[in-house]
Amino acid sequence: MALNTGRILRVDLSNGKVRTETVPEKIATDFVGGRGYGVRYLYDEVKPGIDPLGEENKLLMLNGPLAGTTAQAVSRWMTCTLSPLTGTFTRSVCGADFGAWLKFCGYEMIILEGKAEKPSYLHLTPEGCKLLDASEIWGEDTKITQEWLVRQHGKNTRAACIGPAGEKLVKYAAVVSDRRTAGRGGTGAVMGSKNLKAVAITASRKLFLADPATYEELAKEQVKTILANSAFQSHKEWGTTTTQDITNAIGIYPVRNFRYGQLVDYKPVLGAEYRKMRVGDIGCYSCAARCGKVHTVPSGVYAGAHSEGPEYESIWAFTGSIESNNIQASIAADQLCDDLGLDTISTGNTIGFAYELYEKGLLGKSDTGGLELIYGNPAPMVALIRKIGYREGIGDLLALGTKRLAEKIGRGTDIYAIHVKGMELPAYEPRGAKSQGYNYATASVGASHCYGYAAQDIFGAPFPHPTDRFDEGNADIVIFNQDQTAWHECGVACAFSGGWGWMPLFGKLVTAARGINAYSDAELDTVGARLFNLERAFNVREGLGRKDDFLPPRIRTEPLHTRQAKGEGQTVSHNDEFLDKYYALRGWTKQGTPTAKKLKELGLDFTVKNMAARGK
Amino acid sequence: MSVAIHIPPSLQALAGDAGEIAVAGDTVGACLRELVRLYPQLRGKLFTAKGQLLKGINIFVNRVNIFPDVLITPVSDGDIVHVAYTVLGG
Repeated sequence: MALNTGRILRVDLSNGKVRTETVPEKIATDFVGGRGYGVRYLYDEVKPGIDPLGEENKLLMLNGPLAGTTAQAVSRWMTCTLSPLTGTFTRSVCGADFGAWLKFCGYEMIILEGKAEKPSYLHLTPEGCKLLDASEIWGEDTKITQEWLVRQHGKNTRAACIGPAGEKLVKYAAVVSDRRTAGRGGTGAVMGSKNLKAVAITASRKLFLADPATYEELAKEQVKTILANSAFQSHKEWGTTTTQDITNAIGIYPVRNFRYGQLVDYKPVLGAEYRKMRVGDIGCYSCAARCGKVHTVPSGVYAGAHSEGPEYESIWAFTGSIESNNIQASIAADQLCDDLGLDTISTGNTIGFAYELYEKGLLGKSDTGGLELIYGNPAPMVALIRKIGYREGIGDLLALGTKRLAEKIGRGTDIYAIHVKGMELPAYEPRGAKSQGYNYATASVGASHCYGYAAQDIFGAPFPHPTDRFDEGNADIVIFNQDQTAWHECGVACAFSGGWGWMPLFGKLVTAARGINAYSDAELDTVGARLFNLERAFNVREGLGRKDDFLPPRIRTEPLHTRQAKGEGQTVSHNDEFLDKYYALRGWTKQGTPTAKKLKELGLDFTVKNMAARGK
Repeated sequence: MSVAIHIPPSLQALAGDAGEIAVAGDTVGACLRELVRLYPQLRGKLFTAKGQLLKGINIFVNRVNIFPDVLITPVSDGDIVHVAYTVLGG
C-alpha cells in the first residue's frame, strides 16, 4: 500500500514565494489530518504572545484525508489560526466545495504567512500558484467577489474569501465560500490583516488515495449505510431549521441577552414557518443531505431577502437575541452577514448585548446614530449589521465583540457581556443544559456549541450514559463529547454525519486513504484526547488558565426565566467544583495545565518544556 | 414484564412531565404504542399517520441504537428504552 500523508502548500504572502511540503508519517499517524494537522503545525510555527492580526500569525486552510472522494459528508474544510477574538487556538469549519477543490490540486493544507504588500488574492491550480492583484474586488461583498473570480478563472473555480468585515478587521469576521461560512473566532480578520481577499482554486476532480480499490469499496458501504439511515433522512428534510422548536419547548432558547429561555410566542419561528419560504436545498461536496435550506422572503419589508439559511444558530441570533419572532428579518440578517462576511452567532449575540445596554441607558441615540434598540424590533438589528460590517458609527465599537466592548464602555457592563474567553455564547442556554454550558467553558476556542455538543442534555442521547440536564457534575460527558468531536474533525467529517451510522468505517477509510494502519477506534479516541491536550498546551502558552474557564457572571449568578418551560430559577453555580473534577479527569493541574505525565502519555513530549517554563 | 422508557426533555411536558415511564410490551413497538395509549399527545411526535416511527427519532435499548429494525426489536423485563432526537442543532 502506498503512503499518502498529505501535501502542504506554504505561501509567503510578503514576497509571493510558494513551496510544497509533505506531512511526515509520524504526524499523519498521530494527528490524522484536518484539525489534527492544524493544531500540530500551529503549535510549532506560531510563537506565543504575537499579535493575531500581525504578520507573524499564520492562517491555515485544511481539508481532511477523505476530501474530494465519493464518501459522503467528509469534504468539509476549516481555517485554523491564533484568534483575534479570543487570543486562543481557533478552528472554524466550513462546507460547500472548497475542501474538495483543494484536494483536487493535491493539497490538504495551505499555510499562509506574512502579509501581502497590497490587496491580493491567491489563485491555485494543479499546475501552480500565483499571488494576484485584488484591487478590483477589495471592498466588494463575498457574493460579488466569488462571481468575479469565476469570470476571471472559469466555472471550475471555487473560492474562500472575505467581505468588507474581514478587510476592516472586525474581530468576528468570517471566511465565506459559496454561501457557507467559516464563522467563528475571527479567522476572516486574520485573512484581512494579511491583505488577502480570497483563495481561488481552479481544478477538476482528481483523487489522491493510498489504496483506491479498498477505499472505493468502503465508500460504497458508507454511502449505502448513510442513505438508509433515519437520522440522515430527517436532516435531509429539515437541516437544522426545527431545532428552535425543541429549544424553546424546553426553555433553553436564549432570549434578551440570555435572560430568558423561551420566546413569549415562539410559534412564528417554528421550522414549519421557515418551510413556507423555502425555495431550494443546497449542500456540501459529495453529501446527499443537501441540508442547506434556501429561503426567499416573498413580501413585506424584507421582500427579496434570499439566503442559504438561516440555520439554527442564525435563526436564534436574529430572533431570540433581540426577542423578535420576525423570521423574515432573520433571513435578511443572515443574507447580510454572509455578504459582509460576519459570524452570525457573535453578530447576533453582540447586538443583543447592545440592545440591553440601550435598555439600561448605557447607550443612547447619540451613540447609535438615532437607532432605537428596543427589544422586539428587528429593524435596528438589520441596520446594525451593516454598520458592523463596514465599521461605521457604533458598528466600529460593536465590531470589537462583547468582551472588548464591555471593557471599552466600562461602567459595570461586563456583567451583561455573554462570552467565554471572548467568544460569544451560542444558541443553547447553559442554565438549562449544563453539560453544554461546561463545554462552552472548557472548549479550546471559547464558547463553541459544536466543540463538544451535549446531545445527552438537549436531545436525550443516552451514550456513554444519559444525563440530567440540570446536573453540573457530568465532567466525563463533557470530555467524551469534546474528544469524540476532536477526532471527527481530523477527517473534517460533518458533525451531523456522526449520527448517521457510518463512524465504524471512519478509521478504515482513513487507512485506505493514507496507507497507514493506525486508526482503530481506541487509537482514534487517543487522537481526540491528544488534539485537545495540544490545543490546551497552546492556550496555556498564550497565558490562559483556570480563570478563563468560567461561564459569564449572568449565567452563574442570575436565575434563568423560562416562561412556560421547566428550569425556572436555574443558575450554574458549581463552576469551581466542575473544573476540579474536569481537570482531574483530564490529567491537568488545578490551574488547568496539562501535566507532564499526561502530555507524555499522549506523545506530546515536545510541549513539556513549555509547560514547565510557564511555571504552572 | 416492565420496561422503562426514557422520554427526551422536549417531550416530557406531553408525558405528564415525567422523564421515565414504565410500560409493558414484548417489542419496542408494543412498548411505544402502550406509551402513546397512556399519553396520546405523544402519538404525533413519535409516529407517522401510518404507524411508522418518525424520521429523526432514535431509539436505544440498553444504550444501543437499534436502527433499522426498531419497532420489531424484542425487549425483556428490566430493559431500558431511550427515545432521543438526532442531533439537530448547528
